[in-house]
Amino acid sequence: MNKVQRTASPLAKRNAGVKEIKRLRNTLRVRDLELAELKKKHAIDLQELDKVAKMLVQRDLERSQITEKREDELKQLKESRAALLNILEDAQAARKFVQEEKEKISAIIANLSDGLLLFDAQDRLSMVNPQTEKIFAVKEQDLIGKTIPQLAAFPATRPVVILVKNEGEKIFRKEIKLREKMTLEVTTVPLTIGKNQLWTLVVLHDVTREKLIEEMKTEFVSLSAHQLRTPLSAIKWTLRLLLDGELGNITQEQRGFLEKTYQSNERMIALINDLLNVTRIEEGRYLSRRVLIELEQILQIVVNSYKEESKRTNIGFKLEVSKEPLPKVLVDLEKIQVAMQNLLDNAFRYTRAGGQVTVSLKSDKKEVELSVKDSGVGIPKDQQEKVFSKFFRAANAVRIEAEGSGLGLFIAKNIVESHGGRIWFESEEGKGSTFYFTLPVAG
Amino acid sequence: MKKILIIEDDKFLRELIARKLEKEGYETPQAVDGEEGFKKVVSEKPDLVLLDLILPGIDGFELLSKIKNDDQLSRIPVIILSNLGQREDVDKGLSLGAIDYLIKAHFTPAEIIEKVKKVL
Repeated sequence: MNKVQRTASPLAKRNAGVKEIKRLRNTLRVRDLELAELKKKHAIDLQELDKVAKMLVQRDLERSQITEKREDELKQLKESRAALLNILEDAQAARKFVQEEKEKISAIIANLSDGLLLFDAQDRLSMVNPQTEKIFAVKEQDLIGKTIPQLAAFPATRPVVILVKNEGEKIFRKEIKLREKMTLEVTTVPLTIGKNQLWTLVVLHDVTREKLIEEMKTEFVSLSAHQLRTPLSAIKWTLRLLLDGELGNITQEQRGFLEKTYQSNERMIALINDLLNVTRIEEGRYLSRRVLIELEQILQIVVNSYKEESKRTNIGFKLEVSKEPLPKVLVDLEKIQVAMQNLLDNAFRYTRAGGQVTVSLKSDKKEVELSVKDSGVGIPKDQQEKVFSKFFRAANAVRIEAEGSGLGLFIAKNIVESHGGRIWFESEEGKGSTFYFTLPVAG
Repeated sequence: MKKILIIEDDKFLRELIARKLEKEGYETPQAVDGEEGFKKVVSEKPDLVLLDLILPGIDGFELLSKIKNDDQLSRIPVIILSNLGQREDVDKGLSLGAIDYLIKAHFTPAEIIEKVKKVL
């Protein structure tokens, strides 16, 4: 530029200057435009960059969120796993417990000294224990799944199965002899859940040993009675011969003593009978041979045998029987006589001369009632509850009559009750006692 | 003279009952155990046997069934005279063929003879 200014004319110079300005201005304008354009472009770039940056930030955020979520999920997963493991452990423990319980019950059933049979609702045998196999001498696999009729065909199981079939669920300690040296006590138990009966359990209790002991005891008692009675028989027979004068004459005084001795001996014999009766009551097989009869027939015989006693003791004696015909009863004659005699013995024994004994017999539709009323010494209030106990004797009774077994009323009670009857009394000390018993009308 | 065989192991009882029977005019062969008893039943041919049950050796029940199972002897009446007195014993005795069963301690000699007379 300096060179131009030095060489050109002022006008030219000026023209040239304007031109130059114009050009510069244009250039400037272009530059401005370019700049604006550039600026614009730049701005766009920046925007773009910002967008990208933001996106990046967003992504990062999202990624970290996702990571966080993953971690959460993983944590939860771990927790769930731990919980599941716990549950599994509990379940295993429960299973173990159930298994142990099952084994325990199985062990109890297997080692029970009683035989068990379990029938299902269809009367099919679903379980037996080893004791049952032993009792029947039959293997388990030959029994399981069999029905009652099938089992009734086996000789070994027949007696028990027949009993179960006939008696159903009402069996309680029923005794059956399965074979020689094997006596069982059978009990059935219905097993129910809610109202449904699902099974019937049959329990077989081996009482062979008890039966054997019982037999030995019976034999022992029977033999002891025999041994005791033999010398008493000799005394009785000798005294009788003496009293009948068959061994020579005796004085009146001697006769008196001999009579008393004879009576004592008779008491001893009666005591042995009482003891035998008691033994048999305790064995629970007391009654035998029951017959259908009007009680009055037996009573007449017994009452007649006391007429002598009534005269001898000067005690009034009366029998009152209701006028209507009495219904029949099913009784063991001998035992009912014993019961009547025991009541009458007491009435005469504890009533003083001049007193009164009254026997009455009446009935309603259900029962025949017998009563023995005396005007004797009565039973003291405080001793009344023990009256029917074995060997009981009231204090005032002992004073009057030193002898007496204390078994009479115990025996009478057992006889009456084993006939399905009831026995009771009313008594007032010094005024007398009334003993009652009832027997159910047969039919 | 009617003959009554007494089979009884107790000497005193045997004597007492024999004495009473003889006084009533009976002949009284006696035996002290089951074996001798059976021999006497065969040899004496008694009109009646008074039989105790508890005997040494062959007991009364066994002897009774031997008598009742023997055609020659079965018609001889046998009265059991024993101190065994339980229902089972009485039932067994009667079912084996005894005509009566008396418990010694419950009868006097006179009552026993009543029973004997009734049978003869």
